[in-house]
Amino acid sequence: MSSLSNHHRNGQIPLPCPHLSDFKSRHGHKPFRALQECLRVKPLGRAAIRRDPDEVPRCGSCGESSRPRLYACVACAAVFCHSPPESSHAAAHAESMIPGHEIAVDVDRAELFCCACRDQVYDRDFDAAVVLAQTEASTLGGSTMPAAPPENLRKRRRVDYRPWAPDPRERVLMGRCSSPLQRGDGDPSVGLPWGLRGLNNLGNTCFMNSVLQALLHTPPLRNYFLSDRHNRYVCQQKNNVSNVPRKNAIGHDNSRNLRLCLACDMDAMFSAVFSGDRAPYSPAKFLYSWWQHAANLASYEQQDAHEFFISMLDGIHENVEKGQCRPQRQGSGDCCIAHRVFSGILRSDVTCTACGFTSTTYDPCVDISLDLEPNQGNSAKMVSTKSHHACNGEPDSMISSQSCGISTLMGCLDRFTRPEKLGSDQKFFCQQCQVRQESLKQMSIRKLPLVSCFHIKRFEHSSTRNMSRKVDRYLQFPFSLDMAPYLSSSILRSRFGNRIFAFDGDEPDATSELSSEFELFAVVTHTGKLDAGHYVTYLRLSNQWYKCDDAWVTQVSDNIVRAAQGYMMFYVQKMLYYKASEKVVG
Amino acid sequence: MRPSINRPPTPEAEEDQEKEPTLQEIINIKLIESGEKERLKELLRERLTECGWRDEMKALCRAFTRKKGRNNVTVDDLVHVITPKGRASVPDSVKAELLQRIRTFLVSAAL
Repeated sequence: MSSLSNHHRNGQIPLPCPHLSDFKSRHGHKPFRALQECLRVKPLGRAAIRRDPDEVPRCGSCGESSRPRLYACVACAAVFCHSPPESSHAAAHAESMIPGHEIAVDVDRAELFCCACRDQVYDRDFDAAVVLAQTEASTLGGSTMPAAPPENLRKRRRVDYRPWAPDPRERVLMGRCSSPLQRGDGDPSVGLPWGLRGLNNLGNTCFMNSVLQALLHTPPLRNYFLSDRHNRYVCQQKNNVSNVPRKNAIGHDNSRNLRLCLACDMDAMFSAVFSGDRAPYSPAKFLYSWWQHAANLASYEQQDAHEFFISMLDGIHENVEKGQCRPQRQGSGDCCIAHRVFSGILRSDVTCTACGFTSTTYDPCVDISLDLEPNQGNSAKMVSTKSHHACNGEPDSMISSQSCGISTLMGCLDRFTRPEKLGSDQKFFCQQCQVRQESLKQMSIRKLPLVSCFHIKRFEHSSTRNMSRKVDRYLQFPFSLDMAPYLSSSILRSRFGNRIFAFDGDEPDATSELSSEFELFAVVTHTGKLDAGHYVTYLRLSNQWYKCDDAWVTQVSDNIVRAAQGYMMFYVQKMLYYKASEKVVG
Repeated sequence: MRPSINRPPTPEAEEDQEKEPTLQEIINIKLIESGEKERLKELLRERLTECGWRDEMKALCRAFTRKKGRNNVTVDDLVHVITPKGRASVPDSVKAELLQRIRTFLVSAAL
């Protein structure tokens, strides 16, 4: 088995200690068979070792049953306590018996321990047995497979990346039908990268400009449009063909019947922004098209940038989907470029606290909205123990930043994927109990999108109190992000505790082998009040940060970006994988 | 108790008759038998996770392991190092809540 299928970050399985190896070799076939029969799984998945379900384990030497760590010898089933440094009757047992009684199992945690080495040991077979018992307890009638995810994430044949080079015919075509972009001599912006261009504010449209700037530099999106994958002339021609009968019959002005296509307007914008012209661009046509799509938001009032983002992706999807003949699988991203880039799949597990039955659902998503911490009150208690540590955004920070009172993006993601007790007013109908029960809900990421957009819920609207407010609390966000701990596979594994095993409950899919590392490339920030604020975007191009404030684009340092009040953060996968194309290129 | 051929002889049966179970023992058994101990443990886990105590302990363990070197740390070492810090940093509100629950239980169990 490759080291990648083991979830240890550094890919190393802890090797058995000599006592464990000895025990296994001596007891050969199914050494832990007796233990398997004693595995009791409690409703929330905790595994324990009990001979009888009602047994109260007690130390064979001192009779104590309330010790925090009680171990049952795997060889003779005798239970002993282990309370270093005062006493360890478990270690005494191992020493006093003939060799072979060193390995024991924690009766309350179902974890193996070597009393001679005084350390935890790991065994694949044992862990597999525990996980099997735990998964059986959480599914109806002990059926093995949980709900199959909507998309088959099996590996499509992966191909090596080959940079595209034009063949002779294409070269002639390019020479004949295009002209090279010029950078003006003496242009002070000669040092600036391509595609950096200000966007004029057309009347409180900074919400739109900020998101557009981020999208204009979203690598997969930029590549798609710049490589002419959605040609606005071809698209309009197709629309005109379908509109012809209507035009003749009604005889109205053609422009009103022209189908609106946000993708075409994006294409036009990409061409303009990457043309080399540095004069600020006015995205008026795009704004008009978007108003037509989102009529309820069409006004000169300031809108929410995130709402605009969602609406825009939806607009691109709608217009493209009309041309599709077959329905697409949800979350696969095959429907349109917007979803191809941003769509991921979230997994939601709801567990009944009474019987442990878990119901799993999958939902596609184009972004992840995160709550900021509700309060900092409790964290203040931690400050005293950690006050001398610096909290300055080290990327490798192993210090719990909660102790410094700073919210981080990873903290928000931790909270997002933490099991949450649903309130007693939100009782979930358990299929096994056949009655509404209190339950635990846990979110995780089944499939990562190419580009992850994190939206921080800074605007709170309370319908009960009829008021809205903005949360200004600073949020620290990393420049590089590893999403591995938030994947469904990691979250599910952590539910089972410290186990090493081949995770059979999960499909052997390609996603576990794919990289989960992301790089930050755009940050949309909001400053000011709820109704009188301003959006600004920071972009990272060729390892330099630029501030895009409507029409004004300036170069800025890393620190300015780190200190900004992030509202939407855009991360792109570091590694892109290429699948063999199913379509024949014409 | 179920007999097992691998089991060494246990003289426990005689000792039990000599010793009177202590109050702590009785309470512990009552807690376990009624299932209250498990519920209290779950409640405690929930509260300690909510207030960040668990993350704090994890961070301490990571820091200690990094300093000592991954292969030079045992479970006993970790338990020994973080137990005092852990006990000291449990928020008072959590302690109060659990004590209240236990008190309620004791009253209802008519001890």
